[in-house]
Amino acid sequence: MNSVLDSAVLFQIGPVGITQAIVTTWAIMAILVIGAYALTRRLDLRPTRRQAALELIVATLDTQIVETTGAAAAPYRGFIGTLFVFILAANWSSLVPGVEPPTAQLETDAGLAALVFVSVIWFGIRAGGFRGWLKSFAAPNPVMIPLNILQSLTRVFSMFVRLFGNVMSGVFVIGIVVSLAGLLVPIPLMALDLLTGLVQAYIFAVLAMVFISSTVEDGARPLCDPDIAPSPTKKDS
Amino acid sequence: MTLDWWGLSLQAVNVLILVWLLGRVFWRPVADAISRRQEAAVAMLDEGKALQAKVDVQLAEIDETRRGIASEREAILAEAMATADAVAKATLRDAQTRADTLIGAARTAIDRDKHDARKENAAKVAELSVEIAARLLGRFSSSVIQAAFLEQLVEAIANLSPSDRAALTASETVIEIVTASEPEDVEMAGIEKAVKNALGGTPGIRFVTDPDMIAGLELRQAHFVLRNSWRADLETIRKEVANVD
Repeated sequence: MNSVLDSAVLFQIGPVGITQAIVTTWAIMAILVIGAYALTRRLDLRPTRRQAALELIVATLDTQIVETTGAAAAPYRGFIGTLFVFILAANWSSLVPGVEPPTAQLETDAGLAALVFVSVIWFGIRAGGFRGWLKSFAAPNPVMIPLNILQSLTRVFSMFVRLFGNVMSGVFVIGIVVSLAGLLVPIPLMALDLLTGLVQAYIFAVLAMVFISSTVEDGARPLCDPDIAPSPTKKDS
Repeated sequence: MTLDWWGLSLQAVNVLILVWLLGRVFWRPVADAISRRQEAAVAMLDEGKALQAKVDVQLAEIDETRRGIASEREAILAEAMATADAVAKATLRDAQTRADTLIGAARTAIDRDKHDARKENAAKVAELSVEIAARLLGRFSSSVIQAAFLEQLVEAIANLSPSDRAALTASETVIEIVTASEPEDVEMAGIEKAVKNALGGTPGIRFVTDPDMIAGLELRQAHFVLRNSWRADLETIRKEVANVD
């Protein structure tokens, strides 16, 4: 018996089974890329309302990144912003009748979590070098190395499970209510699902940013930094 | 529930591609637009600051020029005041000189008028004195006075040069013996005799009366007068008094 969590394969490309989630992802990608291209074709020094709205989005994202990490926003803007926009679009795609959001499938959320895992390593190495990235596991002191390694895996796993659980549960609840109470009753739940999708996208992006910045900062900071672990004597004084 | 690793990888690649695509067509263009506007704003601000600095420099130059104009104005005013002061002093000096000249001229005129007045007064006083003396002396017209005048006349004739006496006696013109009052015949004869003796000849004699003489005897000819009377004396005194400054 197949699990309800499994996605039906629409067609096969070599060894890869193309599910509806993948197709929806491609559709979202196409819409986002074409829409972004259409919106950013005529950017001018004197902004129109459309351009002002786009700049407001980018400026808000930059502000969030700066407030979260304290670092410059430019290196992380593309990755964090795309994560947020894609997850939001994927979550809200459930509003389209007959479309199941890609984030309600394990593979999509696991893929996103894997990207965050890799990006933490990538940004860590790029900021402090390979030694700096390794050193980030010894923060605040080398005793924490096993725990930090375990944490780097579990926190990504928790991200993917959190996103998957929230979106999938929403889809399930709405599906159950639709099957029981007809057409109009699920609408408040769908509205709630919109809010849940927005919050989950925001949480996923912010957590990714926090993990990346934590690794970057730990790699750049010397071991046993007194600012990280102040001695009780110093604290008491 | 199973995890499709191919699907996971494909979704990861899909998102990675989306990150790359959106980075090219959305994040970077919009961020570049913001940067361009910020750079333009900074450039405009810099330009504004440069313009402000330029304006400040020009304002400073204008202030300097104004201060120069003000100092020049003060210098011109000071020079004008000095010139006006000098002109005023020169005018005052000139006026003082003119006033002094006028005062001097006035004083000279006053002195001259005073002198003339004094002379005029002296002349009037002398005339009055002569008139008073003439009236007073008129009371003493007696034979004794007449004899004294005859004696003085004879003495005066004697004091004449012989040539003058000879000219008087040789002249065909009658010699007039002028008296203040008409003498009696005896007195006339005595006077004629004494005069002819003094002249040393026998000229023609005629007696003429002139009351203005007050008292005295005078000889008169066409070109000769020998004064010997109180009137002549008083006239001489009056002229002397009048000529005294």
